[in-house]
Amino acid sequence: MSLFAATLESTVRLATPLLLAAMGEIIAERSGVLNLGVEGMMLGGALGGFAAAILTGSIWIGFGVGILAGMALALIHAVICISLKADQVISGIMLTLLGIGLTTYFGRGYVGQNIEGFQRIAIPGLVEIPVLGTALFSITALDYLTLLLIPIVWYFLFRTNIGAEITAVGEDPETADTAGIPVFRIQYACVLIGGAMAGAAGAQLSLAFTNFWGVEMVAGRGWIAVALVIFAQWRIFPLLGAAYFFAAIDALSFRSGAVREWVIDTVAVASLEPAFHFLLNPQVMSTYPYILTIVVLWYVMRQGNLNELGAPSSLLKAYTREQS
Amino acid sequence: MIPEISVERRKNVPQWLAYGAPVFTILAALLVAAVPLLWLNISPIWVYWELFISQPSTIGGVGDVLTTGLPLFFAGLAVYIPLKAGLWNIGAEGQLFVGAVVGSAIALHVQLPAVLLIPTILLAASIAGALYGAIPGYLRAEHNVNEIISSLMLTFAATTFTGYLLRGPLQGSGGQTATDRLPDVALIPSVLTPRLHVGVGLVILVGVAATLLLNRTQLGYEITFIGSNSTAAVQSGISKYKIYITVFVIGGGLAGLAGMVEVAGVHGRLFEDFSPGYGFTAVAVALLGRNGVGRVFAAALFFGLLTAGGTTIAVTQNVPSALIDVIVALTILFLLTAEFVKEHRIQIGSAGSESAPRPEGST
Repeated sequence: MSLFAATLESTVRLATPLLLAAMGEIIAERSGVLNLGVEGMMLGGALGGFAAAILTGSIWIGFGVGILAGMALALIHAVICISLKADQVISGIMLTLLGIGLTTYFGRGYVGQNIEGFQRIAIPGLVEIPVLGTALFSITALDYLTLLLIPIVWYFLFRTNIGAEITAVGEDPETADTAGIPVFRIQYACVLIGGAMAGAAGAQLSLAFTNFWGVEMVAGRGWIAVALVIFAQWRIFPLLGAAYFFAAIDALSFRSGAVREWVIDTVAVASLEPAFHFLLNPQVMSTYPYILTIVVLWYVMRQGNLNELGAPSSLLKAYTREQS
Repeated sequence: MIPEISVERRKNVPQWLAYGAPVFTILAALLVAAVPLLWLNISPIWVYWELFISQPSTIGGVGDVLTTGLPLFFAGLAVYIPLKAGLWNIGAEGQLFVGAVVGSAIALHVQLPAVLLIPTILLAASIAGALYGAIPGYLRAEHNVNEIISSLMLTFAATTFTGYLLRGPLQGSGGQTATDRLPDVALIPSVLTPRLHVGVGLVILVGVAATLLLNRTQLGYEITFIGSNSTAAVQSGISKYKIYITVFVIGGGLAGLAGMVEVAGVHGRLFEDFSPGYGFTAVAVALLGRNGVGRVFAAALFFGLLTAGGTTIAVTQNVPSALIDVIVALTILFLLTAEFVKEHRIQIGSAGSESAPRPEGST
């Protein structure tokens, strides 16, 4: 397989957890609740899914348990932020810390075990398409599901009444409440959906990508998902682009040696070689998503404010119904 | 009659609640953390006895608690001081890394006598941390870029980049992802026990300086004013721009200092996992001790006790040290719950008996 095709293929598979977690976070944030616990929920999903798959012998049950694990953690955040109106930033960070602690603690017994995870399913005919074929039509069931979910989530958020109600709650909960929209119920539902999708993202990692459980195996992908939401300006299709872009950086850093050789050969300017060695070092490349997020945020903020960027107006603000 | 829970905002917070809340939350967290211990057939009473009674009763144990409490205190202040101005510095971990990297690089490459070298590396680490902290401060002050996200992203950039340096330019001769051992002149000497370094003296210096800064200076007044009412503060002529950058510079400087003290005082070399997440626990420290520098210190000591003890029982008794993360997180989650109880009066009674019935969802 050529370098390009191989990179493309791992890009698609690496984008799955980012897409799942970030779509969930978009739903939660559009209802006005920031959840910085994505990393913790993903870890919960990864361990819960892996453990359940080992205990029951079924990867699909494992996947379901992973989703439930993400939701269970999200419920803590929902109660604390929506009902108890506490600070979303603190609660989210503590949720991540809790997820890291709990999974490291309970995951000890599962370290070193392997599982027959989700297998690739090749779609006959389509897989023969040059370059794109293996990247898009020889992936696991979970990857296909995620790709299917993208237009569904978009339609749900932007073309249905419930989607409009979520936006209304996130923009102006008071008016939404007056209009009879159940503000708290919608926020709870959105945070729980976000948790379910983060859990699914984690379970995808342990059940369809690595096929084992490792301590802190999510490795910052939860934080990247949070960054992606801003990067994509709370919208689904920009998210698609952003997630593939970030996943491509990830995929390239796996093959940094070959990539470096290719770039150096192609550019063929000897004096630039040390620069490429530095810039295309796998560790250095791993910092790009973080730096890019700041750069994009800075670039957009120079022209407007966070609301023009697409952030829900009441993000971070707990809604309290006025009481007479 | 359906029982209804009614919630009202309290007009006054009772004294016992104001002071009792941190204590209750810690007790509640310890109670809940007993569940995972029982799950692994470990006696929680024994673990808590080891943590809170046995450990502080040996001189080595006290040394561990103090040396672990120091970075937590400094990083805690790195969160606390911006918080006073109404900003969140979630990036203390990154500032701590940058400080440790710059300080260690100087210690490895510059030859100076100890009396000069140690102050030099500590100062350089502070400056590096301060400059790194200045980035989210500047972006917030100048372009209104959310400091939570930028400081967090910079943390991951810093920790990942440290990984690169430790596999490249700063890698030691041992082939591990760590630097060489720092020269002896760069190591902070220990007193009484090998586990207690004299750097702990800095705690008093920094603690007093932070207290004076916040309570006795014009700058401290301006920081608090901006934090409590930024519109009024700006109208009275205080520069938001200046304060936002200043608090992040001070915070970053303290976090950078913490990183270098940890390397030069405890480990003697820089490696990828030299910080057990001090910068993140610092958020918990700042929050638990939010009402003053003294309380930040108390919170740092408490979490220091947990972190140091957790490491010890993990090694000796095979209790996963991740339990400590669980306790820290639970403490803060319970604290958030306690805040609500503190500010609201919750009554459970039958609907319509005392307060007017409220439509569904009002809680």
